[in-house]
Amino acid sequence: MLTYLIRRILLLIPTLLGITILVFGVMAAAPGGIGGPLLNERGGQIGGANQQRIREYYEKRYGLNKPYAIQYLRWLNNISPVGFRVNEDGSLGRIAVKWPDLGESITQRRPVSDLLKDALPVTLILNLVSIPLVYVIGIVSGIIAARNRGNAADVGIGTSQLALWSIPTIWSGVLLIGFLANREYVNWFPTGGLTSVGSLDASFLPSHVDGRWQAGFLVDRVWHLILPVVCLSYGGFAFLSKLMRGSILDNLGADYVRTARAKGLNENVILYRHVFRNSLLSLITVAAAILPSLLGGSIVVETIFGLPGMGKLSVDAVSLRDRELVLGLTFVGGLIGLTSMVLRDVLYAMADPRVTYD
Amino acid sequence: MTKLSASEPIGNPGKPGPGETDSTRDPLTVVRRSLVRQVARDVLVRWGAQIGIVWVGLLVVLAVLAPVLANSHPLLMKSKDGELSSPWVKHLSTADCTLLVTAVAFVIIVLTRWRASTKVWLLLAVIVVTAITSSIFVKQRFTSPDTYRDRLKSGEIEWAARAPIPYSPDDRQLDDPTARLRSPAGRHWMGTTATGADLASNMIHACRIALSIGFISTGIAVVIGVVIGGMMGYFAGVVDLLGMRLVEIFSAIPTLLLLLCFVAVFTPNLYMMMAIIGLTSWEGYAVFTRAEFLSLRQRDFVQSAIASGVPLRSVLFRHMLPNGITPVLISASFGVASAILAESTLSFLGIGLGVDEASWGKLLADARSSGGTFYWWLAVFPGVAIFLTVFAYNLIGEALRDALDPKVLKN
Amino acid sequence: MNEPLLHIDKLNVAFSTSRGQVHPVRDVSMSVYPGQTLAVVGESGCGKSVTAMSVLRLIPQPPGKYLSGRIYFQGRDLLKLPEADMRKVRGKEIAMIFQEPMTSLNPVYTIGDQIAEAVILHQNLRGKAAYDVAEEALREVGIADPGRRLREYPHQLSGGMRQRVMIAMALSCKPKLLIADEPTTALDVTIQAQILELLRKLQRETGMAIMLITHDLGVVAENADTVAVMYAGRVVEHSTVHDLFDKPQHPYTEGLFRSVPKLGANVTRLETIAGTVPNPKNFPKGCKFHPRCPRMAGDPLCVDDDPALREVQLRYWAACHHIEGFAQAPITEPQLAYKRPETISEIPAEVLQ
Repeated sequence: MLTYLIRRILLLIPTLLGITILVFGVMAAAPGGIGGPLLNERGGQIGGANQQRIREYYEKRYGLNKPYAIQYLRWLNNISPVGFRVNEDGSLGRIAVKWPDLGESITQRRPVSDLLKDALPVTLILNLVSIPLVYVIGIVSGIIAARNRGNAADVGIGTSQLALWSIPTIWSGVLLIGFLANREYVNWFPTGGLTSVGSLDASFLPSHVDGRWQAGFLVDRVWHLILPVVCLSYGGFAFLSKLMRGSILDNLGADYVRTARAKGLNENVILYRHVFRNSLLSLITVAAAILPSLLGGSIVVETIFGLPGMGKLSVDAVSLRDRELVLGLTFVGGLIGLTSMVLRDVLYAMADPRVTYD
Repeated sequence: MTKLSASEPIGNPGKPGPGETDSTRDPLTVVRRSLVRQVARDVLVRWGAQIGIVWVGLLVVLAVLAPVLANSHPLLMKSKDGELSSPWVKHLSTADCTLLVTAVAFVIIVLTRWRASTKVWLLLAVIVVTAITSSIFVKQRFTSPDTYRDRLKSGEIEWAARAPIPYSPDDRQLDDPTARLRSPAGRHWMGTTATGADLASNMIHACRIALSIGFISTGIAVVIGVVIGGMMGYFAGVVDLLGMRLVEIFSAIPTLLLLLCFVAVFTPNLYMMMAIIGLTSWEGYAVFTRAEFLSLRQRDFVQSAIASGVPLRSVLFRHMLPNGITPVLISASFGVASAILAESTLSFLGIGLGVDEASWGKLLADARSSGGTFYWWLAVFPGVAIFLTVFAYNLIGEALRDALDPKVLKN
Repeated sequence: MNEPLLHIDKLNVAFSTSRGQVHPVRDVSMSVYPGQTLAVVGESGCGKSVTAMSVLRLIPQPPGKYLSGRIYFQGRDLLKLPEADMRKVRGKEIAMIFQEPMTSLNPVYTIGDQIAEAVILHQNLRGKAAYDVAEEALREVGIADPGRRLREYPHQLSGGMRQRVMIAMALSCKPKLLIADEPTTALDVTIQAQILELLRKLQRETGMAIMLITHDLGVVAENADTVAVMYAGRVVEHSTVHDLFDKPQHPYTEGLFRSVPKLGANVTRLETIAGTVPNPKNFPKGCKFHPRCPRMAGDPLCVDDDPALREVQLRYWAACHHIEGFAQAPITEPQLAYKRPETISEIPAEVLQ
């Protein structure tokens, strides 16, 4: 197992480098090149000779006049947690463990890593709540559909699965907010944001204050997250449900199920002990794609519901052409995706004894 | 050991077709043609595929006839002085001309009895010729749509035969200050948008964007994916190792994020948008093609083709690809759906195509104002359009998958 | 050896397909006696596997359907048993092994888990006791180092070993009848011989009966006591193995024997039976074999009347109008208690000549 893990991680390194090259390449190919916005923003406001000197300063500081390969290496050094410290004048210092420097956001005038630090937890909550939901509902409804194969339950679930999966997130979000969070219609849910006014000061759990019930911080958060989570996860569990049903039905026709029946086992035991474990394998295979797709979905959901996470940050960054921010986000997105791939491989190796470890 | 199978050998390749003798017939063509026909029949029999194809057909018709159906310029008008003119014709764009001529040619060609390949080449020739000639000869004119309404009112125009929806998508009804964000009523069957333009007109014209981006982006993605995947599967070894890393790169970064990244950096027009969406969605096709080619490589017919000196290009494209295309085909249908979704999402987020292009996603974005008002018609109509289109392609994909299931094929 | 252990009586099984009903098993009757080996012989599509699976009621009820007939096992009609009781029969009284050892074992559980599962289910044992029984079962089928094998997964074993595991699993609860559906078809010739020898040895030791489905006449010759030949869903011939090989009565069986290449014979062309096996979706009317039959000679009786299985000689059943004395032969239950002699001294003198 260890050798497998090591080999897998070793194979990751070229991919990781590849992501960095891709991101860097987009940066370089953009109008203005690396540091273009920096130069234009900082150096472009002041005219005349000063402009020239400021340009030279920034060029030296960030190595902007060196060949692209060198710039790439410098950038790699910047974003790596282990690397050479960069001094004020641009020269290299000692090797140290340092905080990755993803550049600075032009529009918000803060380091990208700071912005990410603030936004990441929101996105993580959204996704980490959605993932178990997606899997649990998907697996359960897939089993129900497979058990009732051909019945009304199966056909109903089957058609609605495909329809559900086809509903664009942009539409469902708008509809949900439009009808369920609207004063003119049903007003059950907040119109957006992560918290209500005053909830930050309230207690964590619901409490009784001044003779009135006060929904605490936790309940408030949950209430704000219900619609976004629903919006994010329905596509996922429709897809998984279909996959699970298909996988179970395939396995039910397998020879080993025939053997199990001949042994005298009852259908429930066959389904839950024999078929289920084999069906899970195909579910794990797609697990690698779930996280990136949820991250993509977060972009839309956070924008519609006004949640201050990475998704909303990306959209704002793109509309304002804040290049450093966009690229930093893309890089982090890629990292998260890679992690989920490794996790998926490890999980699969653990679940399927046919996978050899060396 | 002694086996019980004392039956006649099977060996009857079928009767020759009309005009063919046994020696001229290429068995590969016969098999491929009948297989394709069989598959087409299996697919078209399913209700999912039927619904999907009907809807897509409807979209195609709407896209082609858009300038006829929804146009501020009257089709025919007679001025006070008895002068007959057709402003509609004068204001056709290159795209309009090409589409209309191609559609007419398509109908004519389908009715002939030439061979399929002749028909396809002819159609392509028509498209190319029309596109070139119309781009040279069609001059883009601009007349403000309000003028017709004003002139009608003032009596300058006696009568005008107008399109069923007498508004162009970019007609913001500047002559009517209350035109913006009106719910469906009167001549505006679906209401108006945030800029005052007619929603129905925008919806119809947006069919073009949806269909073209859907097909072309997916086409680009399929080409890239099949080429890379084919090489990975055929050569294996180092090529495979490197190729998989490339696939991993594109799979790890969430597609939407990658799209945003490209869009932020290169502000795209329609064609660049197609290329960008194509460039970010090829991984699936590559993985499928790779898997198919890896297994096909070992098959006897491929080995014998290589051994008899067939050139590599031919081995890959004539022998291996038609046999391994199935999962790519199925995936492509779903791919078109996701390309349309991608474009809609980008337009929704405000970072898609420019202001002039009508897109369902952009229309949807205006449904909810920052003040909290909900304009339901802007949510329902464009949303339903996107949903039905995506659903239609998914249905077609499902039907393809059911029809092409290898277990079923073996029977 | 007077009462049959298993007695299939005029079994009819049908399947509903998208193109109508298919009737792959028609009026099939056969019996197996304790300690006996019945070989059911036929080509693919003749209904032998469906018959075998029907004994354990393993045919899924839609689309399958048991139209009529009875399957008596130790006096009880298995077709009428409630499902819960049927499950007690499966694996414990009657066990079954299948053709494909590769896929017949669950890939994600160890060998030990799968054998112990049967033991736990039927023998009321738990934990280590069950695994001990499993280990013993592995030892009896000739697997070396059974303790280690218990912890291995199916993909780590060869085909022959997997089939031994299947046999061990089937026999772990000491069933009275083992149904073996083409157990050696997917194995190499040398492994085939080993597996069949193993089955014979286990039969001697435990006294269980075996219903052996096969399409290989050589396997029949070496292992069977009695034989039932099936064609197009019907039993066309049933007798002891010696009688069958000595002089087959039905034209189909005759054709089969003629088509077997013989060592030392000098032929330039192998014999075949003309025509092809009929599709169960449209069996011919009358005798199912008549389109291919050399004896038929245009006889309208063969075209119209599907011959029943009659006892044409003492303890020899066949179904063909053109057998001598067929029309007068009685229709009796095809129950044949016979065990082939083990040693030479038991074989009657006249056979040895």
